Amino acid sequence: MTIENKKGWIFWFNPFKYGTDRWMYALHRLTGIVLGLYLMAHVWETSNILNGPVTWNKIMVDLDYPFGVHYGPYILSAILIAASYHALNGIRLTIVENGLLLPKPYRPEFPYKPKSLKGLNNVLKLAVAIFMLVICGIGIVFIFTGAIV
Amino acid sequence: MEGSDMQEIVLKGFGEVVKTITFRIRRYDPENKELPKYMEYKVPIQKGMTVLDSILYIKEHLDHSLAARYSCRMGICGSCGMIINGKEKLACQTQVLELGKNLIKVDPMGNYEITKDLVPDVSKLFRNHETVKPFIIREEEEPKSEFLQTPEQREEFAMFTDCILCGMCLSACPTSASDELYLGPQALAQGYRYIADNRDLGFNERLNALDSKHGVWRCHFSGACSEVCPKGVDPALAIQLLRQVLTTNVFVKFKQKGTTKAPERKSVSGVS
Repeated sequence: MTIENKKGWIFWFNPFKYGTDRWMYALHRLTGIVLGLYLMAHVWETSNILNGPVTWNKIMVDLDYPFGVHYGPYILSAILIAASYHALNGIRLTIVENGLLLPKPYRPEFPYKPKSLKGLNNVLKLAVAIFMLVICGIGIVFIFTGAIV
Repeated sequence: MEGSDMQEIVLKGFGEVVKTITFRIRRYDPENKELPKYMEYKVPIQKGMTVLDSILYIKEHLDHSLAARYSCRMGICGSCGMIINGKEKLACQTQVLELGKNLIKVDPMGNYEITKDLVPDVSKLFRNHETVKPFIIREEEEPKSEFLQTPEQREEFAMFTDCILCGMCLSACPTSASDELYLGPQALAQGYRYIADNRDLGFNERLNALDSKHGVWRCHFSGACSEVCPKGVDPALAIQLLRQVLTTNVFVKFKQKGTTKAPERKSVSGVS
């Protein structure tokens, strides 16, 4: 009699021991779930405008000061980081998952480092990181100070 | 240098116990219906010992009931895939001393059913492999001559023929972890291998299995399959190239490149 040994969905978030692509996959899943939940909360939040200005203003303050502390800007920054990563990595995945910018089939040589995870794919990963830094830098400065850089 | 001197240098330090390493191995016995549990064994390690050697040492000297799957001991048969310290590796190709740990955790491959201890039931892998029709499909029943192929045409799929069906890619794949019916990197790479072959004419016959909900579109390019592949087959690359073929197929119908036939053979005796 055999026994089930499935790794299950929890394995999505276990990129330890694997490489960059596996880490980016895990982060892409995580940010996707976070943004999905945020989107629902966002729709609920903005729908409150129908309840009049008093309720609206109260909810705005409540969301800016959860548990009585001024956490609002930090939450917004986290959402910005998640959204920029998910969007930019999504563009990268759209390119490489259509076989573009990937190497042609090659002859593997010991010690067998896969070329599809390197080369131009790595350049794209670097581009994701650079764009993220720029977007998050400008965005976080704006969130905290209101100044447009 | 004489032969005997050379032998001395090569065999220097061979057979000496370098250190003792603890192996934590996941055990499951199908006869008593207990859940799998870990058991520890202390193995004296000599220079050059692989994880498979250590498992065989345990089987010989410490616990005869330990079961593992292996055959060639040189990374050709692909039978001894297991999770060593959290990553899929062939036990016969993993040097214990190179791992650099005093505790080595050995698990059976994930995403398969477990028959006993470290023995996975890989029938799922072979079933998926069968689904993509891993053979050359032609219209004529009996070819009368060879199908010609240039070296460049062969290079387009040569690397994917190296697959030894060890099944470690399915164990490392995060999609296989949550989707039971997903074909897996191995089968999809083999699907591409035959589609890219210019002698093959079976693109439309394979389309049903590949272009499906549990087929090629379930891959999210985490690259784990390529990382653990012991032969460097790079299944992730094959899947992305296959996707390119299928996407282009929507706009421009995919045409097999076709092959020229060698002149028909005529035997001297008149019997072909």
